[in-house]
Amino acid sequence: MKELMYWNAISEAIAEEMARDEKVFVIGENVQESPFLATKGLVQQFGPERVMDAPLSELAIAGATVGAAMAGYRPVCDLTFADFIYCAADEVLMKAAQQYFIHNGEVGVPCVFLGVAGGGFGNGPEHSRIPAAMVMHNPGLKLAMPSNPYDAKGLMKAAIRDNNPVCFFFHKKCMPMKQAIPDEEYVIPLGQAEVKRSGTDVTVVATSYMVNLALEAAKQLEGKLSVEVIDPRTLVPLDMETIVASVKKTNRVVIIDEDTECCGVAAEIAQQINEQAFDYLDAPVSRLCAANSPIAGAAMEKYVIPQLPQVIKAIETAAGI
Amino acid sequence: MKELSKQDLLHLYRSLIRTRKFDQLNVRLAAEGKLLTFYHSAHGHEAVGVGASSLARDDDYLFIHHRGHGLPYSIPRGIDPKSCVAEHMGRATGWGGGITGFHAVDKEKGVLSSAGTIGSGFVLSAGYGLAAKKNGRGQIAFCFSGDGGVQRGQFHEAMNLCAAWKLPVVFVVENNGMAWFTPNCDTTAVEHVADLAKAYQVPGEIVDGMDVLAVYRATEKAVERARKGEGPSLIECKTFRYRPHSEGRPDVSHYEPRSKEEIASWMERDPVRLFEEKLLKKKVLTAALIEEIAREADEESAAAEKFSFDSPFPDPARLPDMVYAP
Repeated sequence: MKELMYWNAISEAIAEEMARDEKVFVIGENVQESPFLATKGLVQQFGPERVMDAPLSELAIAGATVGAAMAGYRPVCDLTFADFIYCAADEVLMKAAQQYFIHNGEVGVPCVFLGVAGGGFGNGPEHSRIPAAMVMHNPGLKLAMPSNPYDAKGLMKAAIRDNNPVCFFFHKKCMPMKQAIPDEEYVIPLGQAEVKRSGTDVTVVATSYMVNLALEAAKQLEGKLSVEVIDPRTLVPLDMETIVASVKKTNRVVIIDEDTECCGVAAEIAQQINEQAFDYLDAPVSRLCAANSPIAGAAMEKYVIPQLPQVIKAIETAAGI
Repeated sequence: MKELSKQDLLHLYRSLIRTRKFDQLNVRLAAEGKLLTFYHSAHGHEAVGVGASSLARDDDYLFIHHRGHGLPYSIPRGIDPKSCVAEHMGRATGWGGGITGFHAVDKEKGVLSSAGTIGSGFVLSAGYGLAAKKNGRGQIAFCFSGDGGVQRGQFHEAMNLCAAWKLPVVFVVENNGMAWFTPNCDTTAVEHVADLAKAYQVPGEIVDGMDVLAVYRATEKAVERARKGEGPSLIECKTFRYRPHSEGRPDVSHYEPRSKEEIASWMERDPVRLFEEKLLKKKVLTAALIEEIAREADEESAAAEKFSFDSPFPDPARLPDMVYAP
C-alpha cells in the first residue's frame, strides 16, 4: 500500500495503461506540464510523441481524438477544464457519441475526455461547471466522476480500456485528498455504485465532490440520523440497482449533485426511483443541486453551489425532521 | 508521375459513368419517394471524387463529401454502390445496415465517418492522419469537403494542427461556389480556398474540377508529399453542381432561381463528356466501348435497385445494441 493524492492516482492509472498498451496516448492542452496534474510526469516517462501538447483548438483536439480512436488508438484527451467540453461539443456529442451507431457497430471510438470540473475556487461561470447532465443526455457517451483517489485510479483504468468514449470529470475540490492505494493492479468496472456509508434512516445519492460533503454531513448527523451515502461513481452506466435497494431499505432519499438543477442528474435519478421504488417511498424524492444560474465567481459562488450547511439541511428535510 | 495506362484511364472513365448512373438512380428514387432519406446529387461533381479517390490505397482513410453521398469516392475504390442504394432505402443490406439513413461506411476500405454536418471531416481527418503517422506504414487520410464547409472553424483548426504536426492528410475541396442556397461570394471575401491553406503554410493548388485528369494529377502530388511525411496539402477543385442542393429543393441563389446561362455554360464543360472526348481522341475509347460501358452501368444500377427493394428492413431489436460497443 502507498498513499496517493487524487491527481496522482489519475496520472498513475494513465501511466499504467500507457505502459500496458502502446495504443494509448495523451493529447490536449498543456498535458506535458499539466496545470491540474492529471497527466503530470507522463512526458518524462513516455516522451512527447505519446504526450502531445496541442494548440488551444478544442475542436481539433477532440476531433483528432475521435479520428485516431476510430483508426485503432485509445487517446486520452485532456480538455483541462471540463467546461471546455462545450467548446469541443460538436466532436464529443455529434461525433464521438454517435460514430459506433453510424458505423453500424463496426467502428468504435475508444477514448477518454478528461476535464477538471466543479466549483470551489471562485473561477466563475466558464471554469466551474460540471457538465454531467449534458453528457448523460447524449446516448453513446459514458461518464465517470470519481469522488476519491482510490476510485479515480480504478475508474480511469476502466475508462481507458472501455471501447466507448468516456467523459472523466475529476473535481478540483478533491485534489488535496490522499488515500491508500494498493500496490497491485485494480480496475473499477464502470457502472458499479458504492455504498460509501451504511445507514437506515435516509439515503443520500451524491455525485463527485458532493459525496464528500454528504459523508461529512452524515458524520455530523450521527446520533440524530443514520444516513446511507451512495456514490454512483459513474452516471453512465448508472447502477440503479444499488440505489433502489437502498431506497427500499430507508424509504427516504435525497439526491445531491453539483450540476445545475433543471433537467439535471438528480431529476433523472429521481424519476428512475419513482419508476422503480415508488411504493417504498415515505416522502417525495428530494434533490439539492446547483441553482439554475451561471456558476457565480469569487465570494458569490457559495450561493449557487451547494455547501455543507445546505447538505445537512437537505438530508434532515428528506428524513422528515 | 507515371504515365496512365489504358487500363487506368478506362478505370477512371468507368468510375465516372457508374457514379453518374448511380447518382441518376438515387435522384429518380428520391423523386419517386422511394428513398427513406434525403439525397444530395453529385451531378457535375463526379470528376473530383473519382479523380482524387482513385489514388487511395486500401489501407488509407477517406472522409467523403456529401455530394452523391459517397458514390464518387467509393465506386473507384471497388466498393459496391448497391450498398449505397440499399442504405438510402433503409434496408439491412445497406452500408450502414439500414440504420443510418445515408452515412457511407466501409471499414475495410477506410471509408469512415461520413457526416451530415458540413465541414465535419477536417478535424476527424486530422485524427486519421495522426493515427496514420503513428502507424508508420505510409498511410494517409483523404478529406473531401465543399467550399461551404471551409467556413467552419474546424477547417482552420485542422489546417493549423495538420501543418504544425506534418500530418499526412490530403484535403480536397470541391468549390462549387454555393453553400446550400447562398452564394459564397456574399459570405466570404476569400475567392480561392487554396489561399486559406497557404495562410497555414499548407500548399494549396487550384485545379479544374471538371477535368478528372487534372484532379488526378494534382492529387498524385499531394499524395506523394503526404506519404513521404512532408505533411498536408489542399487541392481546390473548381466545380459546379447541376442540380439543387438536395433533391426536391428549389434551385435558387438566395431566394431567386439560379442563372440558366450560368448552368448552361457549366454544362458545356460536363466532366463526363470532357473525359469521354479526350479518350475518344486518344483512341482509348470507341463508340462501341462507350455503349458497352453505359449498358453495363445501366444493368448494374437496375440490379442494385432490385436488390435493394428485395432486401429486408433491419430488425429494430438491434437498435439498443448499437448505442454502446461491448
